[in-house]
Amino acid sequence: MPKFLVLYKWTLDEQDIKVKSDDLSLDASRAKGKISDFDRNAIEEAAAIVEKQGGSVEALSYGTPTVKQSLKDVLSRGVDKAYWIGDASAETADAAVTAKVLAAAIRKIGPYDFILTGEGSSDQFNQQTAPRLAALLGLPCLSFVHKLEVDGAKASVARKLADCTELATVTGPAVISVLSDINKPRIPGLKQVLGAAKKPSEEIALGSLGLAAEDLQPKASRRSVKGFVMTRKNVIYKDAPADAVAKLVSSLAGEGLI
Amino acid sequence: MNFELTEEQQLIGQSAREFGKEFLDPIAVDLDHSGKFPKEIIEQLASYDFLGLLVPESQGGAGAGFVAYIQVVEALSRSCPAVASILNNHAMATHAIATWGSDAQKAEHVAALAKGSRLGAVAVYENGPTPGIGPDALVASRQGDKYVLNGTKAFVRNAGVADVYVVFATLDSSEKKEQTAFLVDARAGGLTVGPLLDTMGLKGCPVAHLLFSNVSVPASALLGAENGGSAIARTLLAVSSVAEAAQTVAIGKAAVRHAAEYAQQRVQFGKPIAVLQAIQTLLAEVATDSQLAWLGVLRAAQLIENGEPFEADAAMVKAFLARFGSKMLIDCCQVEGGFGFSEFMPLPRLFRDIAGTTLLDAPADYPDKIIADSIA
Amino acid sequence: MTNMTGIFIFSEDRALAKQLLTPALELKQALGQPVTALALDGEAAAELAGHGADKVLVLQSASGWVEGLGDAVAGLVGEASVILIGGTQRGKHLAAHVAARLDAGLTTDAKSLKIEAGKLVASRILYAGLAVCEEEQSFPAVATVPARTFPAPAAAAAAGTVESVPTAADGRIAVTGVTPVDKSGVDISSANKLVSVGRGFRSKDDLHLAVELAGKLKGEVSCTRGIAEDEHWLPIERYIGISGQIVKPDLYLAVGLSGQVQHMVGARESKIIVAINSDERAPIFEAADYGIVGDLYAVLPLLTAAINA
Repeated sequence: MPKFLVLYKWTLDEQDIKVKSDDLSLDASRAKGKISDFDRNAIEEAAAIVEKQGGSVEALSYGTPTVKQSLKDVLSRGVDKAYWIGDASAETADAAVTAKVLAAAIRKIGPYDFILTGEGSSDQFNQQTAPRLAALLGLPCLSFVHKLEVDGAKASVARKLADCTELATVTGPAVISVLSDINKPRIPGLKQVLGAAKKPSEEIALGSLGLAAEDLQPKASRRSVKGFVMTRKNVIYKDAPADAVAKLVSSLAGEGLI
Repeated sequence: MNFELTEEQQLIGQSAREFGKEFLDPIAVDLDHSGKFPKEIIEQLASYDFLGLLVPESQGGAGAGFVAYIQVVEALSRSCPAVASILNNHAMATHAIATWGSDAQKAEHVAALAKGSRLGAVAVYENGPTPGIGPDALVASRQGDKYVLNGTKAFVRNAGVADVYVVFATLDSSEKKEQTAFLVDARAGGLTVGPLLDTMGLKGCPVAHLLFSNVSVPASALLGAENGGSAIARTLLAVSSVAEAAQTVAIGKAAVRHAAEYAQQRVQFGKPIAVLQAIQTLLAEVATDSQLAWLGVLRAAQLIENGEPFEADAAMVKAFLARFGSKMLIDCCQVEGGFGFSEFMPLPRLFRDIAGTTLLDAPADYPDKIIADSIA
Repeated sequence: MTNMTGIFIFSEDRALAKQLLTPALELKQALGQPVTALALDGEAAAELAGHGADKVLVLQSASGWVEGLGDAVAGLVGEASVILIGGTQRGKHLAAHVAARLDAGLTTDAKSLKIEAGKLVASRILYAGLAVCEEEQSFPAVATVPARTFPAPAAAAAAGTVESVPTAADGRIAVTGVTPVDKSGVDISSANKLVSVGRGFRSKDDLHLAVELAGKLKGEVSCTRGIAEDEHWLPIERYIGISGQIVKPDLYLAVGLSGQVQHMVGARESKIIVAINSDERAPIFEAADYGIVGDLYAVLPLLTAAINA
């Protein structure tokens, strides 16, 4: 009966973030929170396995105090219990801080057989949490998993990499990050949504984790954020075909495309 | 005063929005072309418990309340208003039985309707100027321990696909032409469904006349009291009109979002047309109308949920959207120019649908009269 | 082997490893520290030593599973200033493990790298491309760099030294099979290069010009709505636009299509857009990085011939 913990991030819905045209700053004032897309796949995977073969699914998130808004949402998606760490430090936290906080929390509430999370978050997409966490907890890690089978303490996975599919096995406890094509996350039905209110959730105070102030200082800090403007080069050749083609070929070679 | 939805209401809306993107967006265009009743989609809605949203938990529903219901109707209508219409007609029939039905009627129908194993419909309109008047009015005569129904109900939605109809008829003994409500099984002898109307919009939500020829129903099929149907119909239509207003707002919001995105992409004279003041004015007006109407819808929905008088608020929303509903679409089409006029874009479909959601269910009295009465 | 300072690079992808030398050599200029490359075999090591690495360490790994080298790499880089790792999936996994071990920051998918006031400053994309941000890290700083972000450097005048180091791998993971990806499918949305055709083609038979070019480019042929839905010259799965496919290839080569907004919505996130059109005023040229104003019937055969297979 595997015991799962799913790590998820409560992010802003990037579709509601607008780039201001005057100074290219981002306007997120109308953006709503959502469970990061790939983390939904992690939740679904754990929930589906547990529904089939028994076990339990708990979820854990570290975020700013707004992370509390995510609890019913995550509990409506097949999770039995949700833990949350809401602290202002998450505003500037990088993957190093996040992994330290999550590792400390897992030492407190664990152990788990399998710790699942999405490949990356839909805002930062650092893709670091799973391997960092595994390194800190001294656990093996399988990343970019698009098929997962659990048999007792053993997990068999297929990892989808750019040039190959790799099959691997590991014995839990282990950390696993999943790809978006591993499953289709469920849409919670009404009864799941209303049932979420009856499921337990528990706050973990950051102060109770025994972390030093220095552990909450990001190692990579953001200096600036600007809206991305797609500008095209507009290099147009109007020469005779042979000359124009020669120039285009050299341009494409310069871009590394041929 | 609190304008915030509860977490559950928000999540139910979010769930319906996800449902819309996943299941309705892919079929909306096809449904508009084929007009074929989307049976599998309604089954899907049932499996997510949306069909029993309004029904109290004690009767086998989710008991989520009317505000949550409005979130769902709005969220589904962003993708496919026709499906929301099917849901709404089913939900109104269910609501009528759950509210005014006898214990036996509730036991027989409500759990099945909430689960979606049966589908419901409301038959309220007639061809005459008002129900009970006109040559083919539906007339019921008491004969011993049963009633015999003869006549026609017009423009019945979910006609032909519903298993049970909430039917409003006039007792032949009623001098004031008061209405009486009955539950009529779709399989009742003498009941036939007329040819489906080829409607302008909301295609896929079937609309037809119901023809009653000596349809005999037991006395136990009476919903509420004899001559008590007019009050039921009035309330039911007023409730329904709030749901239709939510549909109208959703269509307006879907249209203005599409038009705004188009305006960002369409470059004329080296600039996206979104920077032109004339375009901004059109978009801003539509966004304003739909947002203010939405606040009115929510207010009416909250009153319904609280069990407070809501008819005047519902009528105001209805009257407002009757004026501005179609205008929202005209303005959005205007922004998208020649492209907006083409069936390649979604606006023509939304235009036809919004005609349906603004024209159909009206309170039994004209909204202006209800509003005028409320301020006198 | 510990207590070495300097700049370290690693990628299991040999072409990418070589590209990492370019930013590494710039950092060497700024920091005055040597560049050490980590390689998986002697051949790769010799190549890196010949292109600017001062020293190359050949990791003698038991399994060769790159993701399992984290502890070993963290031990080898000691007190590095900057560690650059090729941004493949394996490389990202490794980099995160190394960064955690070193208690270091890590910039994922760095698009640019520079040293300012003793810190590594890297730019990267946020919110799925909506925004770019600059991140700074104190040393040790780690960054992953995607393929083709930097060109490979020229051969160096003097070759660096190469030595082998025994390396422990992660024995807790058992890799039981590897299947290379089959790239024969016609999934337009995953094609790296697309030759997209429009009504500039006079007949279906003429499409072979595009097919041949796509073949040379190892790409696929896509089209406008008109070609698929009105002319039925190509299947509907190949049509790009607001109601068709949305694609993000590295190269989008638009031939004989005007570039209406409904079409371009499906292609505007392509990395490089090239237009070939006889109408100089076609809107596609505004949306293109490179373009040729000319007759596609003259240009395409020349272009196909000019690209080396």
